[in-house]
Amino acid sequence: MLAAQAKKPTDKPIAPDEPFVLTVAGAGGPRIAALNGAAEAAGLAPGEPLADARAKAEFLQVRAVDTAADDAALHRLALWATRYTPTASPYDEDNGADGFFLDVEGAAHLFGGEAQLIADLAGRLQKLGLPARLAVASTPGAAWALSRFHPSALFVLPIRQEAEALTPLPVKALRLAPDTHAALQRLGFKTVGSLLDKPRAPFAARFRAELLRRIDQALDRVDEPLVPVVAPPVYHCLRYLLEPVGTQDAIVALVRRLMQTLVHVLTRDDAGARALRLSLYNVDGAVATIDIALTMPTRDTAHAARLIALKLEALAAMQDTGFGFEAVGLAVTRAERMVAQQTEFTAAADDGDRTERCAALIDALRQRLGEASVRRFEPVASHIPERAEFLSPAAAETTAWPATEEKTRPLLLLPRAEPAEVTALVPEGPPRRFCWRGATYEVTGAQGPERIGAEWWREPYRAHACASERQPALTRDYFLVEDASGHRFWLFREGLYGRETAAARWFVHGLFA
Amino acid sequence: MSESGALTVARNRAVIMEELRRLMPGAGGLRTALPLGLPTVDSCLPQGGLACGALHEIVPAGERCTAAAFGFIAALLTRLPQTRRFVFVLPAYGQRHYGRLSGHGLSALGLDPARVILVETAHRTQTLWAMEEALRSGAPAAVSGIIDKLDLKLSQRLHLAAVDCGLPLLLIRPAHDLESSAAATRWRVGTAEAARDRFGLITRPRWHLHLERVRNGRPGEWVVEYDHVAHRFSLAATLADPAHARGASQKADRQAHCA
Repeated sequence: MLAAQAKKPTDKPIAPDEPFVLTVAGAGGPRIAALNGAAEAAGLAPGEPLADARAKAEFLQVRAVDTAADDAALHRLALWATRYTPTASPYDEDNGADGFFLDVEGAAHLFGGEAQLIADLAGRLQKLGLPARLAVASTPGAAWALSRFHPSALFVLPIRQEAEALTPLPVKALRLAPDTHAALQRLGFKTVGSLLDKPRAPFAARFRAELLRRIDQALDRVDEPLVPVVAPPVYHCLRYLLEPVGTQDAIVALVRRLMQTLVHVLTRDDAGARALRLSLYNVDGAVATIDIALTMPTRDTAHAARLIALKLEALAAMQDTGFGFEAVGLAVTRAERMVAQQTEFTAAADDGDRTERCAALIDALRQRLGEASVRRFEPVASHIPERAEFLSPAAAETTAWPATEEKTRPLLLLPRAEPAEVTALVPEGPPRRFCWRGATYEVTGAQGPERIGAEWWREPYRAHACASERQPALTRDYFLVEDASGHRFWLFREGLYGRETAAARWFVHGLFA
Repeated sequence: MSESGALTVARNRAVIMEELRRLMPGAGGLRTALPLGLPTVDSCLPQGGLACGALHEIVPAGERCTAAAFGFIAALLTRLPQTRRFVFVLPAYGQRHYGRLSGHGLSALGLDPARVILVETAHRTQTLWAMEEALRSGAPAAVSGIIDKLDLKLSQRLHLAAVDCGLPLLLIRPAHDLESSAAATRWRVGTAEAARDRFGLITRPRWHLHLERVRNGRPGEWVVEYDHVAHRFSLAATLADPAHARGASQKADRQAHCA
């Protein structure tokens, strides 16, 4: 069943009781795009030129339509409506962009039926200052038509009565393009009923495919997929509160209970949550969502609750709770297969358990410190030391480090190679003395060179290059040097004398243990 | 079944579990000390090695000795079982100064870089939190990190977390600004000339270890070298100053050396 809701165009009321219109640029000057009740009472209608409207209404308040803001507001409203069902889909341009579809199949009984659901929805929208027209039907097309053209503002259509219900409605109820609509009007088709009992072939020949498609969509002969405002979660659980809550503790306690509910379903399906989304529905209509990614699939209630608590702390989201949250939803947005495990017996020593604990630790650190701050080493096939590894997000499972031939590599690598002043006995030889960071070191032992050529297949890169310099990268000669007190450094000379450079420069690149 | 009957079954189950855990080899057998493998050094430590559930401070002896301190930690970690992960908590701001840990460098010291989880923090509160979190999770084999300032209260908190979980926390502290702390040991790590083979190539790093403070143990001073292949410490034998090799028992010698 589908409910469609058409928002009455009462945006931005400056003086709500006075005539107020929104205009859009059209042929021959601005035309009315939307208007309020007072303007309607003054005899104005959408599509009328603004000049005529000004003549009819004395104090007409005019604003230009801001479609981007309308879209954003509709998006927010659709998010708000995910409290009823995860699949909320705002109208696109073809549908008028002034309402949304809700796929309430399987969700209506939670509210005591479809009629109660739309009554609740209408009541809440009224509180937000949005008078609404709602209809429930088996197809989006029928729901759209009934919400606009049915005499009552709230209407639930029983199953398989679309044809009867649509028969008396005007042709406009089929969501047709303006020229198709005009052509039908010209041909004398006033109601949907007049189209339904005619043979299809002439329509197919005379009109674009749109007409028959819209009829079929309204009558459930073809599917009409909805584009949800957020990806519908795999598992979803929502709790309404009698009294709004605002404290972090209360939210975490609720998350715990929601997760307990979800765990039953997850266990049944042999699944674990890899990503969770917490939706906090504020009393004033705003929806705050918190997304949490997990390193390993989990069904652990305490773990989920703790991660949410850490995230809330990190976000300090609780600063702007406003009037509090009236509903809290927890959704599993990504689920992965998770085989049931014996957890009780080998709790202390089991390897699998340790991996799980490791995953829990990584998750917890991530929520508080940020995604990018928990990392591990990943080897890269490159000879250039600073490129030979990179830090990738940590995972619960370890990946094997390649067993390479033994090379001298420093334990600490400076973020950038730092220039040093070096005295060497022979130009190509090891340093004898060097000055780095304001201190002079006498070299007592040197080992090297290890020659590392530039990677010619990459962008030119030099240790000291500025962005503007476009010089070929130079070969480096690395030396391990030790000073009199036992400090061990990794120095390199950039450039080969005679071939690449006339005056090679020296850099300190790392520190050995 | 009556409620008391259910309770009895649950209790029996717990007893059997406990018994099975005890009987299973390896399970629950928590390691209590991490020996360096050097009798001279281990005899100075109360449990014949670094206590596992404790905070250990490692102080670089000089400004340029941070690498040596990291090296000593990496060497100690290689002596732990290699099946579990190691957590390094490193503040981002320090890395500009002393550089960042390199995976290939760890690998060269015999520590598997794949087992290392690096945690980068933005300030001291985060560093402390991350260390405690890592300890309390019980997931890693050891936690190590670097911290710029630590007072007695904070060190007590970290120490208790380490005691509760039975994991060693190896903490690098800068030499300046050393307040008293609850740590079980304090090591001052300095550099020493590396061991060379007959061709003059550096084979094993050497460190000057000074066990400054140790609870229920004897302080001492040694120069040790570390073999990254065998994961083994040994005393540097061919040293000019014999005071190092004889160790802590000869206090006069050490004082003379210090002077």
